[in-house]
Amino acid sequence: MLRKVLIANRGEIALRVISACKEMGIRTVAVYSEADRNSLHVRFADEAICIGPPRSADSYLNVPAVISAAEIAGADAVHPGYGLLSENANFAEVCRASNIKFIGPPPEVTRMMGEKSTARQTMKKAKVPILPGSDGVIASEGEALEWAQTVKYPVILKAVAGGGGRGMRICRTKEELPALYQQASQEALNAFGNGDLYMEKFIERPRHIEFQVLADEHGNVMSLGERECSIQRRHQKLIEEAPSLQITPKQREEMAKVIKKSLKDIGYWNAGTIEFLMDEDGQIYFIEMNTRIQVEHCVTEMVTGVDLVKAQLRIAAGEKLDHIVPEVPKINGHAIECRINAEHPEKFTPSPGKITVYNVPGGNGVRVDTAQYAEGVVPQYYDSLIAKLICHGKDREEAMNKMQRALSQFVVQGIHTTIPLHQKIFADEDFRRGDFDTKFMERFLERQKGK
Amino acid sequence: MDAKEKNELAELVEFLKANGIVKFEMEREGRKVALEFAGAGGIDAAHLATLLAAQGKAGTAHAPAVATAPSIQAAAAEADPHAGAHIVKSPIVGTFYASPSPDAETFVKVGDRVEVGKVLCIVEAMKLMNEIESDFAGEIVKVFPKAGQPVEYGQSLFAIK
Repeated sequence: MLRKVLIANRGEIALRVISACKEMGIRTVAVYSEADRNSLHVRFADEAICIGPPRSADSYLNVPAVISAAEIAGADAVHPGYGLLSENANFAEVCRASNIKFIGPPPEVTRMMGEKSTARQTMKKAKVPILPGSDGVIASEGEALEWAQTVKYPVILKAVAGGGGRGMRICRTKEELPALYQQASQEALNAFGNGDLYMEKFIERPRHIEFQVLADEHGNVMSLGERECSIQRRHQKLIEEAPSLQITPKQREEMAKVIKKSLKDIGYWNAGTIEFLMDEDGQIYFIEMNTRIQVEHCVTEMVTGVDLVKAQLRIAAGEKLDHIVPEVPKINGHAIECRINAEHPEKFTPSPGKITVYNVPGGNGVRVDTAQYAEGVVPQYYDSLIAKLICHGKDREEAMNKMQRALSQFVVQGIHTTIPLHQKIFADEDFRRGDFDTKFMERFLERQKGK
Repeated sequence: MDAKEKNELAELVEFLKANGIVKFEMEREGRKVALEFAGAGGIDAAHLATLLAAQGKAGTAHAPAVATAPSIQAAAAEADPHAGAHIVKSPIVGTFYASPSPDAETFVKVGDRVEVGKVLCIVEAMKLMNEIESDFAGEIVKVFPKAGQPVEYGQSLFAIK
């Protein structure tokens, strides 16, 4: 087993990893910026090393500082958490070169899955369904019409050189395609100096479905079921659930087989998540893979009973998957997670500052992962997540009721939080019915404005 | 505190100093002892517990020895004696060396006058020897770390007046 792990992260996930290590008798080293001197992850680690000033670039993202800290502390492994350096293939390589075990997949795999087009090609080869795209430039309106015919409408035209929504047109019928093609191309030419376009299938009302995977370093892979993360605002997830009401047991089994094969093929190991979009007909398409533990890993833990962070540590220590997870876990009940951010619940402006009151709810099937505390300070330098509130019930109805009760008892004063926003969402009929897609928050906020 | 307790305490202090322990707290039979040493070096909690057990100094049932999570920096070091002195702090994480090589003389010593830009020490990080230059002109009044000691970002290296 690993002897000493350095946690290259902060906040709730750093505390999560430190806690898992403590339970396994592994010694922990925290690193922190000057702004995090009084954080819980620093307090509860066995050792703590200050690695830089507040800005992430100078501290948590500072590879030499993190590696140097691991060296002077004699750590034999580094857990990168999520965000920060967790998907930085360079960092994983430096760890390897410095003889420090990186708790995650090999750098080559991280690099491959981090590049959108190679990831798609890799998954396509492994027979994972991918969102149809014109792997190449669509040179004329004629080609566009032909391609759209095979893939079916709606489709989206995108600038090869572009981004930020420019040089993009959604096309729903073949009649409007030629004109939209011209518009997109002209706009791209004006914005980026290059009018080349490519095309993708467009899903009007997608649902975000992702699958949790674990793989050991001996070629064994397992899927631990899916999560649905359709409640998002500006591509940031707000609420996640497991299982998804849209996935049947048969689909879950089929996906498990496909995922097993594809990850084995690419030589993946440790934890990861494969993300898909589901269209209105229930078809799912690969969009990307996250080669790390995710924020919302907790809902999978609640329905499968598998501790994913401990699994990561054990995999990194060389253990085989069938010792860690002896059989494919059954999905038990339903779990929902609310991300509580230090933001105004209506304006979404960040709200750093000192927390004066912090009453965390508890009770049967209620879990709170947080590194904040009363009199603690939320610094302005990092992301706004201060707590994850996870409720587990025998079904979705019970999980939602618990969540409403728990939200009502989660009292935070001194800063704004998104707790009131979550309370409104859990009272919303569409949400309660499970009738949503990734555009839900847009519609919901419009409705709120109207009130 | 009676004579016996005073002797026990003196023995404990010597034991801690000899083993480079920076901070120590213990509660036993209604008495609490908290000690913090000015100066460098630290030792981790598990090692301390082992040392104490071996010496038969573990307390009675109700409250085990508690060593707080050591940060490598010793807080007391920069206090009164150097009030008003400029503290040169480490800009990086690494290992402190006072001389360019093991047998050579130290870059500077207490009493030396230094100009801005003078190389005061080396902090080694990831096999690279980083020369740390003075950002202040004056006389060296204190060298904080020992040679070979790990230092963190912002840790005090020298006091210059």
